[in-house]
Amino acid sequence: MSEVLLQQIEKLAAEAKAKSTQLRKGETMVEVDQTQLKNFVKRLVKETLARHLSTITGLDLGQNIGIIYHFWHERNTIHVKTTVPKEKPTAFSIVDIVPGAILYEMEIHDMFDVEFIGNPWMDRKLLLPDTWPKDLPPPLLKTSKPAEIRKRLGLEVERK
Amino acid sequence: MSEEQGKTSRKEESAGLMKYSAENLVPFGPIHPALKEPEYFKLVLEGEKIVEVIPRIGYVHRGLEKAAESRPWVQNMYMFERTCGICSFVHSLTYGQAVEGLTIYEVPRRAKFIRTIVAELERIHSHLLWVGLMGHWAGFETLFMWVWRDREVVLDLVEAISGNRVHKSMNAFCGVRKDMPSGMEDRIVERMKFLADRANYYKQIVDTEETMLERTEGLGKISPDTAEELCAVGPMARYVGLRRDIRLNDPYAAYDEVPFDIVTRSEGDVHALLKLRLDEMIVSANIVSYAVQHLPDGPIRVKIPPVIPAGEHSSHSEAPRGEIFYYVKSSGGRTPERVKSRQPTMANLPTALEILKGQTIADVPVVLTAIDPCFGCMDRMSFLDIESNRQWTWFGEELRQYGLNYYFPGRAKKR
Repeated sequence: MSEVLLQQIEKLAAEAKAKSTQLRKGETMVEVDQTQLKNFVKRLVKETLARHLSTITGLDLGQNIGIIYHFWHERNTIHVKTTVPKEKPTAFSIVDIVPGAILYEMEIHDMFDVEFIGNPWMDRKLLLPDTWPKDLPPPLLKTSKPAEIRKRLGLEVERK
Repeated sequence: MSEEQGKTSRKEESAGLMKYSAENLVPFGPIHPALKEPEYFKLVLEGEKIVEVIPRIGYVHRGLEKAAESRPWVQNMYMFERTCGICSFVHSLTYGQAVEGLTIYEVPRRAKFIRTIVAELERIHSHLLWVGLMGHWAGFETLFMWVWRDREVVLDLVEAISGNRVHKSMNAFCGVRKDMPSGMEDRIVERMKFLADRANYYKQIVDTEETMLERTEGLGKISPDTAEELCAVGPMARYVGLRRDIRLNDPYAAYDEVPFDIVTRSEGDVHALLKLRLDEMIVSANIVSYAVQHLPDGPIRVKIPPVIPAGEHSSHSEAPRGEIFYYVKSSGGRTPERVKSRQPTMANLPTALEILKGQTIADVPVVLTAIDPCFGCMDRMSFLDIESNRQWTWFGEELRQYGLNYYFPGRAKKR
C-alpha cells in the first residue's frame, strides 16, 4: 500500500517539477513552487488516498515564509512545502479543493500575515485581537519580540 | 465627506443589512475565560433556524508556539502539556514523539506500555466528562451525577499512577518519568471491569430514556463525504462511518502490540456519538486491562542529551477528541526553531459549523457539545433582532432552560 502511494507521489512531484525527499521511513517532503502548488494538491487529493489534511504550518525562513501542508494516509505523512517572499506574502488558497483548510489558512494569515487568494474569510481575524495594531509585525515572525507586543497591546505587567 | 458620498455609504450599509433582512444575527459568546474555554459564534438565523455560523476563536490564545521558541526542549514538553486541562497527557506524548523522531534513541518497550495505559485512562476520563455534560445540556441531570461519580474512579487511578489528577507530567523524552506502582494490576483490572459495566448500563439508558432520545436522535446529521472533505477527526469522523483513528491507522506507543478494534457507527447523529463514545470507553478499558497484565519488564527511560539534532519531524496521535498533530523543526540548538501544535477541536470546527446549519437555537447547546469542544461558548449569548433592533442577552443557564422548555414544556412548568 505504502509503496504504491510513494510511487504516486513521486510521479506527481516529477510532473510538477517538485523536489521530493524521503525524510525518514513513512515521511516524505515535497517542495513545490507556489505556482504549481494548487495543481499539485488537487491531484494529490483527487488521485491518491492521502486526502486528509492535518494542518498547515507557517515557518519563518529568513527571506521567505514557508508554508507546509501536512497530509497523511495510514503510515505515510506527506509534507507539501512551498515558500512565499516576505515582502509580498501572497499564496493561493486551497479552500476550494480542501474545504477543511479554511481555519488553518486564517491562522497563518493572523500569525504570518500571508494573504491567501481565494479564501473567503481573509477579511477577518481568527486568533489575534481585533485591536491588533497594523504596524506591529505579525507575532510568529522571528523579528517580533513578545515584550514589544505586550507593551503595544498594553499588557505589560509592572513588577514590584 | 460630501453629502453624495455619505448617501452612497449609507446605501451600501443598508444593502449589507438587507442581506440579512429576513434573518437575525445572533452573537454567541465569547465568555468568561476564567471558567471555561471561550469561543465565539455569530449565528445568522432565519426565524428559529440557523443558516450560517461564523466562528471567532482566540480569546485564550496564549502564544505557546512563540513561547516554545525561547524555551529548552524539555521545558516545552511540560508547557505543551498545559495546553488542555482534560487531555493533557496526549499533548506531551505527541510533542515527545515528534522530538524523539529527530534523535537516534528508542523508547523502551515498558515505557511505551505505560504511555498507552495513561493515554487510555485519560480517554476514559474525557469521554465520561463528555457524557455527563451531554446529560446536563439535554436536561438529564441524573446521568450527569452518575457519570461524574464514575469519573472519580479513573481520576483516582491516574492519581495513584502519576501523582496528579489532571496534569500528569508522566512523559519524558524517550520514556516516562515514573514507573507503574507495583501491586496495582488487580485493582486496575477490577476498576476497568466496573467502568466497562457502567458504560454498558449507560448505553442501555441512552437507548431507552426518553429525554436523551428526544434531544439527540436525528440531530447533527452530516454525510461521510462532507466530513472527509472538512477533515473531521476522531469521534466526529467515526460517527459517520469513516475508519479514522491514529491508534489503528498509524500505531504509536504500544498500540501495535495490543489487540483492539476501533468503533464506528453509521447513523451519523448525536445519539450515535453518545453510543460511540460509550463503546470507545469499553474498548479503552479492555486496552488498559490488557496492557497492565502484559506489562513488559525493563527500563522505563533512556536519557538523551539536551541538544536535539537539526531536522524536521511531525507526529500525530489520537486524543480523546481526535487527531493531535505536532510539527517540530530543530536547527541543532537547545531550543526549537519552530513548534506547531494543532488540537482536535480546531480540526473539527469546520464540521461543527456545517452541522449547526439547519438546527434551531434550542439545539445549539446539544449540537455544539456533541463535538466535545471546550464549552465556554455557552456561557452567554446575546441576541440581535435586526428588524426591530431589539437586543437581549441570555446566560448559559437561560439558554439551557430555553432548550428544555422548547422540548419539554410541561415538565419545565412543573419545576
